[in-house]
Amino acid sequence: MDLFSGLIHGFSVALTPMNLLFGFSGAVIGTIIGILPGLGPLGTMALLLSLTYGFDPTAGMILFAGIYFGAMYGGSTTSILLNIPGEAASVVTCIEGYQMARRGRAGAALAVAAVGSFVAGTISLIGLSFLAPTLAMAALKFGPAEYLAVALVGLIIMSRLTGGNLLKSLMMIALGLALGTVGMETVAGYMRYTFKQPLLAQGIDFLPVAMGLFGISEVLVTAEEPAGNMQLQKVRFWELWPTLVEWKRSFGPIIRGSFIGFFVGLVPGPSPVISTMVSYSVESRLDKRGEFGKGAIEGVAGPEAANNASVGAAYVPLMALGIPFTPAMAVVMAVLLIHGINPGPLLMTEKPDLFWGVIASMYIGNFMLLVFNLPLVGVFANIIRTPLYLLMPIVLLLCLIGVYSVNNSILDIWLMTGFGLLGYLLRRLKYDLAPLVLALVLGPMMERSFREAMMISRGDLSVFLSRPISGTILLVGAIVLAAPLLIAWIKPLIRRKV
Amino acid sequence: MVFQAVRTRFPLRIVAGMTEWGVLQLPLASLFFNKKGAHVKIGSIVFAGLILAVGLVYEIMALNMPRGRLSYPGPGLFPVIIGVFIIATALGCLIQEILPRKKTGESPPTSPVPTQDSAAPGGRNVRKTFQLMALMIGYTLALKPVGFLICILAFLVIAIRIFGYRRWFPALAMAAVIAGISYVSFVLWLKVPLPLGILEEVLG
Repeated sequence: MDLFSGLIHGFSVALTPMNLLFGFSGAVIGTIIGILPGLGPLGTMALLLSLTYGFDPTAGMILFAGIYFGAMYGGSTTSILLNIPGEAASVVTCIEGYQMARRGRAGAALAVAAVGSFVAGTISLIGLSFLAPTLAMAALKFGPAEYLAVALVGLIIMSRLTGGNLLKSLMMIALGLALGTVGMETVAGYMRYTFKQPLLAQGIDFLPVAMGLFGISEVLVTAEEPAGNMQLQKVRFWELWPTLVEWKRSFGPIIRGSFIGFFVGLVPGPSPVISTMVSYSVESRLDKRGEFGKGAIEGVAGPEAANNASVGAAYVPLMALGIPFTPAMAVVMAVLLIHGINPGPLLMTEKPDLFWGVIASMYIGNFMLLVFNLPLVGVFANIIRTPLYLLMPIVLLLCLIGVYSVNNSILDIWLMTGFGLLGYLLRRLKYDLAPLVLALVLGPMMERSFREAMMISRGDLSVFLSRPISGTILLVGAIVLAAPLLIAWIKPLIRRKV
Repeated sequence: MVFQAVRTRFPLRIVAGMTEWGVLQLPLASLFFNKKGAHVKIGSIVFAGLILAVGLVYEIMALNMPRGRLSYPGPGLFPVIIGVFIIATALGCLIQEILPRKKTGESPPTSPVPTQDSAAPGGRNVRKTFQLMALMIGYTLALKPVGFLICILAFLVIAIRIFGYRRWFPALAMAAVIAGISYVSFVLWLKVPLPLGILEEVLG
């Protein structure tokens, strides 16, 4: 199936009433959680993962795509109106967006953010539509050595890009990989780290870990924070239209932000957040008016476009290689895994309904978000007034019921509670949770690839370096890992010479 | 520059709540360069030590598994490699936390805008975390014998109060409505077999 017939087939799948409903629900839920500080798209997806057991996998994927895109839209609303970023990717939008709102241009900022998000989302989806099938075709040539190299380097790059302490991130990766070895080993059926508990034979399920680390710990952290007062600015519908000058000034940043977001999104790591920061930096350097920090529309248009573009790009490695580069994509991958579908290069040919249906639904969801987000901006912004004493107990309730409903197991609730506490401690101690979760998901695949590669090469470890693709990927990983050390070593030498 | 701009414009608690990616952790860490930093440091040392101990136990158990040969790896080979990785990284973290950091000569950066955290160092309410954890443990222990409906009702009433709503009757009413909706949607509609406990005969 070529690209265009694939997309047409995808639209025929995505436009069924049920899938449209899932797309719409995802977009609404995403917008709401994007607005609410504390609960991000990742936590919400982890929370709803148990519900997708009862759905068709395509519907589950469409729902999650809607949530992810919707969160990027919703996050900008409260950033601009209240100076409160609903989720991490909207933090940068606050800087210029809130200043615009103070100058009475909140409507223009919201409109530019929404239109920019739509344009960027569409550009990234076009990129996804072209790149994912091409990469999937190329990935058919991948052997176990290449898969191990991609996963390993993905984890290394992620630990570098999260901005925290490298050793701490590497320790999180090690912990995640260790958790992935619990349970019955697949080749010889050997029980590892089960402590004679039959319930652990199937391994540590991703769901209680994700719900605990991202759902429960989020609630625990939120519970500790003192409540603040907020004053919501009113925006009338006729105020939403930016002036011609504002449109002209936004055009360039939106296009630049789209491409920045897309390329940053292809790299493992917190792409939505990093892309907004890169875009903001670029726009502030291009600024000739000296308006940055005082409400420059470019500082809203660029970052908002970038975070949406990165979402589409994050799907490329998952859909083409079956390897998630972000924890959010790991949760999306779990939707497939719980239905017995292994994502990878063959997904496009074996499950064309799912592959193309999900991509097409993103186009529709993106359009839906633009259409209902702008007129309903006032309604959505008021959601932030939902009292925490009502919202947080409901989140906990959904976690408790959701995690139990999958295996009807009390052990899963214990695991979720334990990982919730672990997640809380890790956040407080400035550890990053993303490498742990990704390593847990990628660990079993990495072990399988390692063992297969060793068997094929008859125990020759050089196979990882001698094969051109895996060798190149590992070289990139080594450079990324060693770059800061090299820079630190070279800098004083250069200074001395100067 | 962006980090600086972000830090000067938001109350710390808002940005801190957004650090699930850790991207903003670097600048935030510098804001903890005070008495609180000591707590974080001690916590980090204890945690790294704990992970080191876990790594050692993990490695010992891995060494007792059949490792096979490189050409035909057994179930223990990969865990042995991971065990070494855990020990090495935990040791590295431990040394990093214990060794004094190089002084750069710069004063610790402070936020130009008074933040809720910096204005009120004791702003965080750690007691709520313990209360919520105890509540979840209590719920899990009581779920099978007592049943979902009573457990979730009690859970919600207490959780609503922990989150700051103090009036008993409205809290009970809100909890009853939410519990009722969750019973209808999860047990009756989605057929989730949640234990009914002592209400089994009445509802079952």
